[in-house]
Amino acid sequence: MATIAQPNAPPANLDPIERRRYVWEFPVRLSHWVNAIAIGVLFLTGLFIASPVAAPNGEAYNHFLMGKMRLLHFAFAYALVVGIAIRVYWFFVGNNYARSGFPFFWRRSWYKAVFGQVVEYTHLERGHINIGHNSLAGISYVAFFAMCGFEGVTGFALYGESNPGGFWDKLVGWTTPLLGGSFRVHMWHHLVAWLIVVFVVLHLYIAIYDSVLYKNGIVDSIIAGPKFYEPGDHDADKWIS
Amino acid sequence: MEPSDQFTTYQVLQRHGVDRRDFLKFCTQSAAALGLSAAFVPKVVAAMETKPRIPVLWLHGLECTCCSESFIRSSHPIAQDILLNMVSLDYDDTLQAAAGFQVEEIRHKIMKDYKGQYLLAVEGNAPTKDGGVYCTVGGESFLKVLQETAADAKAIVAWGSCASNGCIQAARPNPTGAMPVRKLITGKPIINVPGCPPIAEVMTGVLTYILTFDALPELDRQGRPKMFYGQRLHDKCYRRAFFDSGQFVEAWDDEGARKGWCLYKMGCRGPTTFNSCSTFKWNCGQGWPVNSGNPCIGCAEDNFWDNGPFYQRLSNVVVPGIDSTPDQIGKTLTVIAGVGVGAHLITMAARKQASKLKTPEDGAGQAGEKE
Repeated sequence: MATIAQPNAPPANLDPIERRRYVWEFPVRLSHWVNAIAIGVLFLTGLFIASPVAAPNGEAYNHFLMGKMRLLHFAFAYALVVGIAIRVYWFFVGNNYARSGFPFFWRRSWYKAVFGQVVEYTHLERGHINIGHNSLAGISYVAFFAMCGFEGVTGFALYGESNPGGFWDKLVGWTTPLLGGSFRVHMWHHLVAWLIVVFVVLHLYIAIYDSVLYKNGIVDSIIAGPKFYEPGDHDADKWIS
Repeated sequence: MEPSDQFTTYQVLQRHGVDRRDFLKFCTQSAAALGLSAAFVPKVVAAMETKPRIPVLWLHGLECTCCSESFIRSSHPIAQDILLNMVSLDYDDTLQAAAGFQVEEIRHKIMKDYKGQYLLAVEGNAPTKDGGVYCTVGGESFLKVLQETAADAKAIVAWGSCASNGCIQAARPNPTGAMPVRKLITGKPIINVPGCPPIAEVMTGVLTYILTFDALPELDRQGRPKMFYGQRLHDKCYRRAFFDSGQFVEAWDDEGARKGWCLYKMGCRGPTTFNSCSTFKWNCGQGWPVNSGNPCIGCAEDNFWDNGPFYQRLSNVVVPGIDSTPDQIGKTLTVIAGVGVGAHLITMAARKQASKLKTPEDGAGQAGEKE
C-alpha cells in the first residue's frame, strides 16, 4: 500500500512545537482517568466480593470488611457512570477528535480504513497515522463502552436486589429474568469484568506501541492533551460539528 | 370426592363441627399469615361467610409430589383439612379417593359447570417433545390435559419450581423438552410459586389471599407473589452480620463453621434467591438450610440445577467442550491477550533487527523508497 511507505523521519522544516496539536480536551482526559481508576478499583473489589480471601477473626461487630469492599465497589460504580457520562456528553460537544474513530459500519470507506489499519499494525514502516483515534481503536472503544454498559446494567440490577421495587430495580431489574435469574446475572457480570481486563491489556500495549513506534506522544497526550503529528497524518472526520 | 357446591367456607366448617370461635381464630390466623392488620380480620370473616368456595382442579404433571407433601403440612393458616374445606378441591390425583374414569369425569364436569370460575393449580410441568408422550395422565398427554384444563380456568397457580421454572426435568440437556407452565399457557393470569418445594405456609397463604380478596396477589416481574418472594434470603439472613464483616466458612467443620459464620464461600445461593425461608422457615418455623449449617441451593430460582455445583460460589460456565468458571475463562483470555502482545513485540523486535542488518547495504535503497 502506498500509504505505508512514508518516511520515518519528519520533514526537517517542521520543528516539534509546530507539530503539536491539542487533541484530548480536559473533559476527555478527566473522563479517561476517572474511568481508569474506577475500573481498577471495581475489578479488584469485585474479585474480593466474589471470593473474599481475607478472614478477620473475632466478633462480627468488630469488622465490616466485606461491607467496606462492597461500599467501595458501589461508590466507584457511580464514579464510572459519571466518568462515562462526561465522555458521552463530550462526544457530542467536544472537538472532532472526541468523535474520531467512530465505526461507520454503514460506510464502505470505514471497512477500507479498518483493513488499512490492520495492514498498518502488521508493518513496521510509518504509514498514515490518525491524529485522533484510528478505526481499530474506535471499534475497541465502542466495545469497551458496550461492556461498561453491560456491567452497569447488570451491576445496578444486582445492587437493586436489596430493594425490589426501588429505583434501580425499576430501571434495570428487567435484566434478571432476561439472563435467567439472579445467579446468572452475577456470572455474566463477573465474566464481562474479565473481558474489560483483556481490553485494558490490549489498550495499554497498543498505546505504548504507538508511542514508541510513531513517536507521536500518545501516552503523554492523555495526561497533557497534545499529540505530535506529521504531514500526511489523517485528521479526524468532521461529521457532527 | 364430591364436586364443589355453592356452600361458603363457613357453612362447610360448620358442617364439620367447627364452632364460631374456632372459625374466627382461623380467620385471624389467615389474616396474620397474609401480613394484614387486625382491621382486616372482619373482611376475611365476611369473605369466608359469604363467598362460595372456589373450585380447584389440581393437576400433576412431571413432578415428585414434594409440593403436595409440603402443602399438607401447612400449620398456619391452620391444618390442611380446614384449608381443603376452604377451597373445594375437586380434582387432585394424589389426594382424591376416586380413581380412573370417574375422576376424569369430575374434571370435565367442573370445567363445564364452573367455566371461567375455577382455579387451576399445577404441580409439575409438561414435556413437549414427541407430542408430550413422556408424561401421560388417563391416556392423554399431560400437555393436552394442561392446555385443555387451563383454557377455561380463572387463573393458574404454578406450584413449585417445576411448574414455575422447569426445575430438574427442564435442566440441561432437557431430554423430554419439559417446559414450565408460563411457557405453555398464554392469556391467563399465572401465579408462580417457586421452590422445591415451596414453603407450606406460602402455598396456603397464596390460596387464602385469592379466596379472601377474590383477587390475585400482587406479582413481581417473574410472576411471583411479592408478599412471599419480595426479598432475598440474604437480606433477612440471621448470618448476614458475618457476611458484612467478611467472616466466612472456608471448609466444612472448620472453626468458622462451628461459630456459625456466613456460608457465602461454601456456595450459598442466599444472595441470589428470592424466597421466605429466612423469615417463615420450614416445618412449622423450626429451621431452614442455613440454620442447620448448609448453604442455600437456590431452589426457588430459575435454572438452579444448571447453576451448579451447589457448593461453589462461582458456577461452571458451559462453553461447548470446556467446563470452567468465569475466573478461569477470564484468566485464560487475559493470558491469550498477553501472549498476543508478547508475540507482536517479538516480531517487531525481530523485524527491526532485520532492517538494521539490512541498513548498511540499503542506505541508498531506503532513500529511493520515499517516492
